[in-house]
Amino acid sequence: MGAEPPAEDQDTKMEDAAKMLASDPSKLTQPIKELKDKYELLPAFLQVRGLVKQHIDSFNYFITKEIKKILHAKGNEQITCDVDPSFYLRYLDIHVGTPCVEEDFQEKKITPQQCRLRDMTYAAPIHVDIEYTRGKEILQKKGEGKAVLIGRMPIMLRCDRCVLKGQSEARLAKLGECPLDPGGYFVVKGTEKVILINEQLSKNRIIIDKDSKDQFAASVTSSTTERKSKTNLVMKKGCLSLRHNAFADDVNIVAVMKAMGIESDQEIIQLVGQDQTYASLLTPTLEECRNLQLYTQQHALDWLGSKVKSNPRGFEGPRKQSKADEARNILANVIVCHVEVDRYNFTQKVVFIAVMMRRLLNAVMDESLIDDRDYYGNKRLELAGGQLSLLFEDLFKRLNTDLKRQAEKQLVKANRVAQFDISKCIRTDTITYGMEHAINTGQWKINRFRMDKKGATQVLSRLSFIAAMGMMTKITSQFEKTRKVSGPRALQPSQWGMLCPADTPEGESCGLMKNLALMTHVTTDEEEGPLARLSFMLGVEPISSVNGAELHAEGTALVFLNGLVLGVHRRPLAFVSAVRRLRRAAMIGEFVSIHAQQESVNIATDGGRVCRPLIICDNGVPRVSNEHLAKVKSKEWRFVDFLRAGLIEWLDVNEENNSLIALYQTHTRPETTHLEIEPFTVLGVIAGLIPYPHHNQSPRNTYQCAMGKQAMGNIAFNQLARMDTLLYLLSYPQRPLLTTKTIELVGYDRLGAGQNATVAVMSYSGYDIEDAIVMNKASLDRGFGRCVVMRKYGTSIKKYANRTEDRVVRPSIAPGEKRPAGRMKLLGQDGMCSVGEVIQPGEVYINKQSPINTRDMVSNPHSLPDNAFKPTPMSWKGVAGQSCVVDRVLLTENDEGHRIFKVMVRHTRRPELGDKFSSRHGQKGVMGHIVPQDDMPFSEKGICPDLIMNPHGFPSRMTVGKMIELIGSKAAALSGKFHYGVAFGEPEGLADKVEDISATLVRHGFSYSGKDFITSGISGEPLEAYIFMGPVYYQKLKHMVLDKMHARARGPRVTLTRQPTEGRSRDGGLRLGEMERDCLIGYGASMLLLERLMISSDQFLVHVCKHCGLLGYLDANLGCAVCPSLKTGDQMTAMKLPYACKLLFQELQSMNIIPRLSLADM
Amino acid sequence: MSSRAAPKRTPQVSVRKIEPDFCEFVLSDTDPSVANALRRVMLSEVPTLAIDLVEIEVNTTVLNDEFIAHRLGLIPLVSQRVWDFTGAYDTNDDDENALMDIVFQMDVKCTGDDTLDVTSNDLQLDPSFPDIHPVAYSTGPQDAQAEKGVLLVKLRKGQHLKLKAIARKGIGKDHAKWQPVATVAFQYMPDIRINHALMDTLSEEQKLQWIQSSPNPVFRLNPVTAQVEVVDAEAYRYDGEVIAKAKALGKEGLVNITPRQDMFIFRVEGTGAMATQQIVVAAIDVLLRKLDTLQQSLASADAAMDMDGL
Repeated sequence: MGAEPPAEDQDTKMEDAAKMLASDPSKLTQPIKELKDKYELLPAFLQVRGLVKQHIDSFNYFITKEIKKILHAKGNEQITCDVDPSFYLRYLDIHVGTPCVEEDFQEKKITPQQCRLRDMTYAAPIHVDIEYTRGKEILQKKGEGKAVLIGRMPIMLRCDRCVLKGQSEARLAKLGECPLDPGGYFVVKGTEKVILINEQLSKNRIIIDKDSKDQFAASVTSSTTERKSKTNLVMKKGCLSLRHNAFADDVNIVAVMKAMGIESDQEIIQLVGQDQTYASLLTPTLEECRNLQLYTQQHALDWLGSKVKSNPRGFEGPRKQSKADEARNILANVIVCHVEVDRYNFTQKVVFIAVMMRRLLNAVMDESLIDDRDYYGNKRLELAGGQLSLLFEDLFKRLNTDLKRQAEKQLVKANRVAQFDISKCIRTDTITYGMEHAINTGQWKINRFRMDKKGATQVLSRLSFIAAMGMMTKITSQFEKTRKVSGPRALQPSQWGMLCPADTPEGESCGLMKNLALMTHVTTDEEEGPLARLSFMLGVEPISSVNGAELHAEGTALVFLNGLVLGVHRRPLAFVSAVRRLRRAAMIGEFVSIHAQQESVNIATDGGRVCRPLIICDNGVPRVSNEHLAKVKSKEWRFVDFLRAGLIEWLDVNEENNSLIALYQTHTRPETTHLEIEPFTVLGVIAGLIPYPHHNQSPRNTYQCAMGKQAMGNIAFNQLARMDTLLYLLSYPQRPLLTTKTIELVGYDRLGAGQNATVAVMSYSGYDIEDAIVMNKASLDRGFGRCVVMRKYGTSIKKYANRTEDRVVRPSIAPGEKRPAGRMKLLGQDGMCSVGEVIQPGEVYINKQSPINTRDMVSNPHSLPDNAFKPTPMSWKGVAGQSCVVDRVLLTENDEGHRIFKVMVRHTRRPELGDKFSSRHGQKGVMGHIVPQDDMPFSEKGICPDLIMNPHGFPSRMTVGKMIELIGSKAAALSGKFHYGVAFGEPEGLADKVEDISATLVRHGFSYSGKDFITSGISGEPLEAYIFMGPVYYQKLKHMVLDKMHARARGPRVTLTRQPTEGRSRDGGLRLGEMERDCLIGYGASMLLLERLMISSDQFLVHVCKHCGLLGYLDANLGCAVCPSLKTGDQMTAMKLPYACKLLFQELQSMNIIPRLSLADM
Repeated sequence: MSSRAAPKRTPQVSVRKIEPDFCEFVLSDTDPSVANALRRVMLSEVPTLAIDLVEIEVNTTVLNDEFIAHRLGLIPLVSQRVWDFTGAYDTNDDDENALMDIVFQMDVKCTGDDTLDVTSNDLQLDPSFPDIHPVAYSTGPQDAQAEKGVLLVKLRKGQHLKLKAIARKGIGKDHAKWQPVATVAFQYMPDIRINHALMDTLSEEQKLQWIQSSPNPVFRLNPVTAQVEVVDAEAYRYDGEVIAKAKALGKEGLVNITPRQDMFIFRVEGTGAMATQQIVVAAIDVLLRKLDTLQQSLASADAAMDMDGL
């Protein structure tokens, strides 16, 4: 991007300069000023957008525009009835209200925090205005209070309908909300759910590909609201044919063209291209068509009709139409269905297919024209709004068919008592539960596309603030994880600036799960109509007025609008720049993208394109000047003002590919069209936390992206008001001494997840090998790494069918005692544990009782006697030895009137051996040793490390960024100023240079290298090497020994096999597996094997009949073991075998297989 | 490191600076082991008082009980009288009268609309030990001049904190809150020998360059004699810069710097629990007692061995 122009260009450059000078002599005297503090644009940018604007925008678009489109779509707008032709119900309008809940027949406004605590759904009513017939009357129900409720829509937090929209920090605090929380998720039944961004191949675009058999193919996935279909054009043995599900076979494309009304071969060739080569390439296809003797449209239609796949459903009764008509219908409505065909006028479709053919043939001639499927311009991101609109339309259709069915059922009755009023029949459950269930479970079932997607939503991870932020930018791909193709996983150059290059998980979904970069925006749909009209005004000649020969004339270009052929333009480049000028003047949508490519001009207004803002340059001079930036600083200008003034514009991937973008201002040259706002925005939110990431080996940044989400810290400002199932908090979180701009923009400096530990890079005690770290005991005493783990326990009061319900009662207190004793001792008068009490395993925290009889009707369900209840207390199943404390108790009721109890139990932990820590450079390690402070090495200033890290961590990891962080933090601590380590920030002064940091260190009397002269704390003798020492921001990760350690001697067993249980949670045994068994066999330790596998596991005494080899049973009358066949105990002998073995024998017997034991003396 | 001379047995202390929270002295005529022993004892074995047990009665603050207890523990208490007390773990004799607990009370409630800072000044002293109090303790109206005390927690309207805190004697080995010092460190006195013969081969400019190469002002050029002389040997941080510079100038051996094995500059920074000179004296005391114990147990071991006829 910023390479020097080649030498031969120098001359032309000079000429350009001379020209410029002639036009405006003042230009020469005025040197190009360097833009200062360009990054100031970012806060302005994020202020208006927030980090999850794409989610919120898409949802807003859905509830304001898309939902209306759905309502008025063909087939949705009106319900009619086959029985009564005069009956109809027409939807006039639809509104989504503000979130509320119906309680005691009253509508009450709700806040998200209430929903979280009360396990409710943050949803708003959807009302429709309708017009319908009741008997002979035509009625309307519309407007406030009269509109009909059809269901409830879960509301995205911070969208236009949300109560949090545009509130001040103080107001948010009142509502119990964290001001740093980005929103963009839903609260469904009290859990926060995120609808993940979904990545797909773009719809309605032609993609030229080479398939597995090395055949060239042009494919289009057409998508309309009604139908999705995939059309392929393949080159098979030199012959072009159409491949589609509707046809049983590949069909000759010329035949298809003929069926669509282009009967002359010459015309077909003209449509594809004038050039001789096209004609010769098409010859085999034409010939094949001729051999089939298809000359007229009717011939072709008849022939195609014979190729139509028979209707698999088959039960549609006698065919209403002829085969030829069927073929014509398929051509009109199924093949490339996004190209609309009005009354069988195929002009548009013919041109589209001709373009497909032309591009395919071009690719055959020049393989470089094959499209790259992984190119990000060919991808579309589906956001929450889009996915919800698919779901909503499906549910809405279901509601309508339900209504229709009801209407038919009612209207068919001749003598009705009351007149049928359809507005009373609208059931709100279909939509309410449909939406709620889909978001809650992530099962996206859309009947009309036969789509059943799982895992569309995820619970918002509240492990740390950053984890929640990261989740909002996460993109999942439709690609199967099991496939071993590298293409979709690889980092595509076109992802530059759009997707974070570092933030992707390791392992199976590596490269498939992506994250948005800092400034990325995802577009929503925009109206095509005005843009099409505008294009015609700008000189696009519509296809209908162009003949085949003119279509591909030299110098002209086809103009596409969202994949559809709009027409032809004779001066494409002028057209492109005209549209761009209009966009910069804010006359057309800011997200409209236009780019010229080969012989076509593509305009895109569709939703799901990723785009990002860039500074526009004229002749290499950025339009943004220092005066503009000053206006941002003084808050006079906002980001939109830059867009409106045409200084900055949004580019999507395709248009970006058509531009020359300078990374730094110094790299601009006359041809430069754009300037990057800030290079560090190529990284995402999470990678943005890493200081100096550009000095690290790339996988280290990826590792940190995964670990940053596990770091403990503060979750949100309202963390103590929330009732999360699991909450990890750091007692003393700090702000990193070495920060980045991203950290400040995101708010990580206010909700940190780590501490600045003084690190000495040296080897010490041997307990620091393999990445282990040695810690200073005194630091731990003073609160380093101290954390609080809170866990939610709880129950709800169940109501039973016989109208009885559970109850919570105060515990019985022994006479003379003040408080209940034993395991009830925490309980107060209300039957719930008291806040602040230390809870021990087995102790009851809610004294619940359930009615014994829950089936038979009871006359007085609310005044049952005490003996009608059995105790079902909630007792705490923690680990002994921890002193856990009851932190909070919440008693509330959900919207269905069920009472809910929630108890938070808190445990404060001090770091211990084996706890996991990590720096911000993918360098994780466990604590290997704790050393008293007097044994720690110290400098002559008395500085002594909190943590010692082994230097072997550096050479192979190559995390130079960590070293720079160390010296930078040291300089920060000494100078009292936070230092910056913004990615790629050195040239712009956003990252402190090592040189400057060293100067600061020297100024404060330290070595420039960050190394100190250290004395051993054990012997008092100086260490022989200088030690690299200084603060590094360390994160405590959620993996702690306390949660993982496990051992057992004796313990519970599984009832079925009588073998020890499995897993830590069930206090399971430690398995002696196959490989261990093999070792023992190899060694010949047979008695040990016997002891491990039987005696210590599931030894069982059986009686076996020596005669028939069957297992006996105890005969109570005889008082001895008896053989099942002989019925005597004479031949019985006792032996030990594993219970599982006995079980196997019995199971075999149950299948009519007799296992016999033949016994012999050894 | 220079070869070890015969150990010197008569350590000298010369005090350079004594302030309440800081002192600097030179320990000489001894070896590093003694210096280090003194440092280690100061750090972890000089007893002080610190809050060890907290009984919380009411806590409606934003911080949880453990959190507040931990913060209370880390407040340095003025421990001049620490010798009158017995630690919780060293009551070897059943001395009924042993002083153990100092009980502080705290009862703060916020009634105003502003945030109220709860500091160590809100601790009510034990009436039996009015002289044991947190550092920088002041009661009465808080004006801007007065020391603010150690911040524990901030309260909003209606929040209440009521607790009883029991302070005990302890040592830094058990918990860092009993450390009497913030930092204690010693430095080897450098022994700087300039090879004047070689130095004279340098030009004045080179000399200046060489002097500049030291990050701290150790040397200077005497304007009268044009000789390089040591101004402040202690300022030398063993950074090796001058030696590297000399090498770069092609004059290896221009200067020879070794840490002296018998002279240590100690810097003690107190927490306020005790005056720094008191810490040093106490540390020497503890060290002596340790030696005493060692001597006694050696003697008794010898006696036992004699009895066994060995």
